[in-house]
Amino acid sequence: MSEEVKPNKVVDARGSFCPGPLMELIKEYKQAAVGDVISVYSTDTGTKRDAAAWINKSGNELIGVFERNGYYEVVMKKKR
Amino acid sequence: MPIISRVLILGDGAAGTIMANKLRLLTDRKEVDITVIGNSPKHYFKPDGVHIPFKLKKYQNSIKPTRFLFNYGVNYVQDEVTGINVENRNVGTRSGKQFGYDYLIIATGNRFDPDEIPGYATEAHHFYDLQHSIELGNSLDKFQGGNIVIGPSSIPYQCPPAPYEFTFLLDQYLRSRGIRDKTNIHYMYPLNRVFTIENVSNFVEKLFEEKGIETHTLFNVESVNPDTKEVLSLEGESMKYDLLVLVPPHKGQKVITESGLAGKSGYIDVDRHKLNYGKFDDVFAIGDATNLPISKAGATAHFESEYLANRLAHDISGGIYDEIYNGEVACTTITGSGKAITLYFSYDRPPRASFQSKMDYLLKWTSADTYFSGMLRGVM
Repeated sequence: MSEEVKPNKVVDARGSFCPGPLMELIKEYKQAAVGDVISVYSTDTGTKRDAAAWINKSGNELIGVFERNGYYEVVMKKKR
Repeated sequence: MPIISRVLILGDGAAGTIMANKLRLLTDRKEVDITVIGNSPKHYFKPDGVHIPFKLKKYQNSIKPTRFLFNYGVNYVQDEVTGINVENRNVGTRSGKQFGYDYLIIATGNRFDPDEIPGYATEAHHFYDLQHSIELGNSLDKFQGGNIVIGPSSIPYQCPPAPYEFTFLLDQYLRSRGIRDKTNIHYMYPLNRVFTIENVSNFVEKLFEEKGIETHTLFNVESVNPDTKEVLSLEGESMKYDLLVLVPPHKGQKVITESGLAGKSGYIDVDRHKLNYGKFDDVFAIGDATNLPISKAGATAHFESEYLANRLAHDISGGIYDEIYNGEVACTTITGSGKAITLYFSYDRPPRASFQSKMDYLLKWTSADTYFSGMLRGVM
């Protein structure tokens, strides 16, 4: 994903610990429409693995995991 | 000397009661007025909820009249809080009373919201309050074999180890009845492991394997179908059950959201080291009412109250208190076969879980007595 991709929804879970960022992402996912791109910001390194595992298992698309300035960004597309 | 500070505590559960009693022990009642507002006639020791369905404990020993649990010099008002105005330092109640304060401590805990999951109310059992623990025990008495599905419906929930503790005790109970070989125990969890903390999860998962308990991870409950007896996940999976034991969805109290102190979740954002709310240095939240990234448990309320009571006692008397709360929690959790482990952890230090002992189980077993006579009274 290029830096310019604009997600429809951003979940800023920086400062929150596991499982906070994943739970916040799931909460946002439930309210999103199919096709929406959702991005979660997290400072908890476990989010990279946990969120990616959940996105894959739930049949959605993992667009990418990106290292930003002091945090990670996990980007997904709602497919179902 | 006249009263110099009025401390108002909202909530008469573990957090509110420990906080009031600890602060009372640290301050002079002629100088500091401490009032607790709560609406629970009985105080229930919730950790016994995992024992009661198996008749391992008599529920009569797990409840006490709330009004007898406060130390001398704590004013207890049995009423329901209906509005909190932190700008005007004012709290209103159902009976129409208004309370002012110099320090406000919000310890209003959780509420259960079964309507969050379609089908939950009519199908699911749980052990998170006394009535449901007893009802679950009655259903287990009639159970003769089949699929038992257990897990949390969502995160956060109170006492995170409770679902796996219940599962270990269930395995033990079914073996004692000679129907374990006719029963499949399925344990589901919303994350990609069986507990929030990774090294505890590894430990529990190993024990599950030894006991033949099947695990289903990344299973976030979406609904329950009463016709097909299936629990359905957000991830598109389903599981058949004959007995469903599902932790109810938790939320903070409505009055917190309605008073503008939190969003829809009802949990209050507080400073993780000082426990004060937003820009206010006279408003605090402790226990399950907060949004802190630590367990919603009595042990957390106990450690937070210890910190906050000391801080307020110093503050009121004009002293300096430069300690911070660092997320310390200690809890003893059952691992089955008459054993338990004790976990100590904080924001920065994950718990170690490697040593099970019968002594820890004894501590857990007698904890209701210790709770009512020592911990709640603020002397531990």
